[in-house]
Amino acid sequence: MSDTKTAYKSASELSEETRNALGALLLALADNKRLLGIRYSDWILGAPSVEAGIACSAMAQDEWGHGRIVYSMLKDFGFDPHHLEHEREAEEYHSAGVLDSDGTSWPELIALNFLLDTALTVQFETLHESRFEPIHYKVRKLLDEERFHFEHGRGWTARLAETEAGREALAEAFGNAWTSCLAWFGPDDDAIATVLATEGIVSGDAAATRGRWLARVGPVLSAAGMDLAREDADGWVSDAEPNWSAWSTERRRVSTGGPDEDTLARVRGDRNRSLLID
Amino acid sequence: MPVLERRPRYEQGMNFAAVLRDTQGHRDDLPPPPEFDAPAADLAERARRALYEVSDPEFPISLVDLGLIYGVEADEVAGVVTVSVTFTATACPCMDFIKWDVRERLLEEPDIEEVRIEIVWDPPWTTARIPERGRDILRASGVAV
Repeated sequence: MSDTKTAYKSASELSEETRNALGALLLALADNKRLLGIRYSDWILGAPSVEAGIACSAMAQDEWGHGRIVYSMLKDFGFDPHHLEHEREAEEYHSAGVLDSDGTSWPELIALNFLLDTALTVQFETLHESRFEPIHYKVRKLLDEERFHFEHGRGWTARLAETEAGREALAEAFGNAWTSCLAWFGPDDDAIATVLATEGIVSGDAAATRGRWLARVGPVLSAAGMDLAREDADGWVSDAEPNWSAWSTERRRVSTGGPDEDTLARVRGDRNRSLLID
Repeated sequence: MPVLERRPRYEQGMNFAAVLRDTQGHRDDLPPPPEFDAPAADLAERARRALYEVSDPEFPISLVDLGLIYGVEADEVAGVVTVSVTFTATACPCMDFIKWDVRERLLEEPDIEEVRIEIVWDPPWTTARIPERGRDILRASGVAV
């Protein structure tokens, strides 16, 4: 890195290593947004209240809007947008394992809302001042919309923690989702995060971005009686760690596999193929 | 594993875009454009004024009055007009209608041969970006702003 101030206006201006790293990160962000939108949509009808269902509807819509924006950028990185959105197999999705199948309880959805959606938001925040201008100019609107998602997740986490049964359900749901969400940031020496931080494409490496997320979610988890994160002299930390032996830096996940058959059909729009309007 | 074929858009003889637009787009209750003191000084200004006649699909208000038009530039020689437009939300379901309507209206205008639409997200649109005339129009429709 010789010059940290120059802005990049297109992917072709990036070194091959940086272009590959940023392309992979954007694809993972887009895939997680698209899958998360499906998970929100699972609760549009059947949420604990009409208001919560409407909130899920709005959040599902937002996630697909964010996915659309990020997918549309990937052409510049050598990807075929049509192939990305409609033709991939499960193992080709770069989405968190916790999104592979639909959840069975409202606290599980809130775990996705509060932990995973916030992890993605924190990652987008690291792109806010990116030297890669095409993303930098799109992030502010997206972050504006995500404020409401965070408040929804925080509010429901606190609300569910008000009863003993709620606390038990929360602990189980958040405990199951925890390492999958924590894995998003990668290990401290994660290849993609390191390249992008060094090049000024993102504002923090894996450890810094994970720390930022833990500081955001940790106090809320603590207040809700969950000990997934704790504050020490260096800030908020997690004692649990993903099993990094299975880590894929491109897919941002520690498990093999991918979205199940039903999820895959929905995310690709298989049933609407004949109606496709480009 | 389902068969994944890329099909042409209107394979079955039906223009889905037109159907969607007929069922969801278009409004005929748009307030008249403002009265201007002088003719438009150039093609870009004429194009911008024409956009007072393109409505938001959900409210009886023009794109200009809603603050969604961030810029209009024109190449007078080539007759190419470039419109920078934003949307109220990243998942705005009316993006296609709006783009079609902008293009259609501007191509009605003399001297415009081509319309380019650039989607921009920065600065992000919020209700604070609605100009005063737009606020009056929305209030008249019963929308609190």
